[in-house]
Amino acid sequence: MTGLKKVAVVLLALVMISSSLVAQGTKEDAAKGQITLSVLNYIDMSEPNSANEVRMVWDKFEKENPDIKIVREDLFNEPFHYKTEAYIASGQLPDVVYMWPSGRSTSLHTTGSVKDLMPLLKRDGLVGDYNPAALAPQFSGFLGELPNGITTTHMLFVNKKVLRDNGLKLTTDYNELKKMVSTLKAKGIDLIAMDNMDDWVMQSCLFSMVVGRYGGVDWYDRLDSGAIKFTDDWFVKSLELIDDMYKSGMINRNTLSSPYGASRSSFATGKAAFFIDGDWATGSFMTDITTGDAMISAKAQADDFELLAITNLPGEVVHNSNSGVVGTGWGMSAAIAAGSAKEEAAWRLIKYLQGEYVQTYRLATGASFPSNLKVDVAKVVAEQNLEPFITKRAEYYNEYVPITPVIDGVLHSDVYNVINSGLQEIGLGSKTPRTVAAEVQKAWEAFLKNK
Amino acid sequence: MAKVQTMADTRREQKRAYWTLVLPGFLLYLSVMAFPTIFSVILSLTSYNGGKLFGGRPIEMVGFKWYARLIADEYFYRALKNNLWIVLVSVLGQIPLGFFLAYVLYRGLVKGRDFFQTMIYLPTVISTVVIGILWKSFFAPHGAFPELMRLFRPGYEYSMSSHPMLPVLFVILWMYSGMYMIIFIANLQKIDNTIIEAARIDGASEMQILRYVILPALSGVIVVTAILAISGSLKSFDLIYVMTGGGPANRTSVLSIYMFDKAFKGAPNYPLANAISTVMVIISFFLIGLTKFAETRFGGRE
Repeated sequence: MTGLKKVAVVLLALVMISSSLVAQGTKEDAAKGQITLSVLNYIDMSEPNSANEVRMVWDKFEKENPDIKIVREDLFNEPFHYKTEAYIASGQLPDVVYMWPSGRSTSLHTTGSVKDLMPLLKRDGLVGDYNPAALAPQFSGFLGELPNGITTTHMLFVNKKVLRDNGLKLTTDYNELKKMVSTLKAKGIDLIAMDNMDDWVMQSCLFSMVVGRYGGVDWYDRLDSGAIKFTDDWFVKSLELIDDMYKSGMINRNTLSSPYGASRSSFATGKAAFFIDGDWATGSFMTDITTGDAMISAKAQADDFELLAITNLPGEVVHNSNSGVVGTGWGMSAAIAAGSAKEEAAWRLIKYLQGEYVQTYRLATGASFPSNLKVDVAKVVAEQNLEPFITKRAEYYNEYVPITPVIDGVLHSDVYNVINSGLQEIGLGSKTPRTVAAEVQKAWEAFLKNK
Repeated sequence: MAKVQTMADTRREQKRAYWTLVLPGFLLYLSVMAFPTIFSVILSLTSYNGGKLFGGRPIEMVGFKWYARLIADEYFYRALKNNLWIVLVSVLGQIPLGFFLAYVLYRGLVKGRDFFQTMIYLPTVISTVVIGILWKSFFAPHGAFPELMRLFRPGYEYSMSSHPMLPVLFVILWMYSGMYMIIFIANLQKIDNTIIEAARIDGASEMQILRYVILPALSGVIVVTAILAISGSLKSFDLIYVMTGGGPANRTSVLSIYMFDKAFKGAPNYPLANAISTVMVIISFFLIGLTKFAETRFGGRE
């Protein structure tokens, strides 16, 4: 046998052995009567309680459901979204996917990659178990994902100790906040910490709320019907407010070089008096059940911190509103055959993930507020002696109404990407609000034309 | 009776040997280089936008629609400009710096040659992601760089608004100069030392040795490093993606990040992303052709 032939034989043998091992694994699962479900999970492993989730949620499910084997892929932030797009493009979407009702999961909806879950909810008589707002049709026009809850995307975290130490009084009034800049700057403290390197942060966590205040609760409906334009006062004023926040130093321009999640620790350690993020960021400050470590201790949460929203924007037409959207949740691949055993297994997993146990766990760890009405928040808080941020978060939801649309929750990415870039251009001081407004209107018109 | 080997047999055998040797490489090239490139060009002329390529939604040919959109997009030019900055820093920064360091070490102008050689080459062997995270932390608003600057200028505030590409270009220069240094050292060692000694005995200065002995001997290597620098610059992605993600407002974006964003950010636009990659290939060919022309015109006297 020649050397080349020997190499070819060895390679062939390796290929056959590896293929047979894979096939063997699948056969063994089938022989055990197990159904394998691939799951694309969204998790930030650097956050407290993330490692716990594996044990408390996923391992528990497999233990209780020995006929289902989970093959889970954990990703976070941009890599998660990029991988999702690659899966959609290749037509290889995992069986169960973590997803958004619109925004970054637009492709999942528009390509018909996920199933409508409403028929399954109705079949099992579970519609009444969920907050009706959470079951509203999503970007695809149907219930593409069963949401964890309702999310508000603007939360003003306040470090009262920084204010006290600098002789300042707690306020959320826009003009009063602006007056604090000079006092804090003299001490090398930022007024508001944000992570604006990722372009969605400003749009989602601040600008959407501002647009609601100037545009009204129904701004999207009126825009869609052609009654208003992006070049009108409501939108230009919203952009001008962001411009004013940068120019006045309320938001430091250096936040544009701060990647998402980086400012949390600097806020907690007093390098900024306020911090803007979405309500989901609450969990990152709370205690990790396993280690007992917390970025903000339970005592400090009670004494030194508040969860609020900015109020009294100059010239606002809606007061005290906040931007909100149906939360993230779980969807099922449309490639799974209807009525198959795999569909049943995937549905059992989704019901578990949005059931009482997991939603209570998510509430306790600050991950989300439940969409499942069986979870009695007040009771859980009292019984489990949950940290003050949970109670404060519940009060915060009651305080800021009405809820207005989140930009990337209602607009197509061809439009909201222009807004995201435009907000960063304003932050850099390289474009005026009017120029950005004109560009957004142009993108909107192009989108309508190609729709 | 043994068959007599004719000329025709020999030619047939040569042909068989030729194809046996060439075919595997040719097939490999076709499958991993030529086919994806041609397929990418074809996709850039279609309406394909996600889902299965075959058996999915029907795909229409749309001509040069995506190229027209590309040309009208200001962020394309910004990404292209940044790419050209990187090419400039690579060709006029990394290569001269790499050569300078190699020359200093080779000629023994500093002590501790092995130490310096290792330290300068080190960034090349560290994961690009690790380097990106390290420098991102260094230049962060509360990172080491602003803190260091405040030692000299109290109240200093680092902001991305002023020349956001500068930190990226600095890191690119720092990271890859070591690779060129190693290439130059390896080639410097091939130069016959007696020629240098003879030049020295004839009274040549260090600069004259460099100008008339060493540089002509390395002209071919300089062209090769320039081609490496150009092609490497055009495909630069990982370091910038980790350091800045192309932001803010695409200020640090390059063509590969611009293409990636179009393919994977928000609703994907695969034909547009493929149009960008086609433009990248064309630019690469142009710049490499330019380098080859420069070699023919000014080099080749090894």
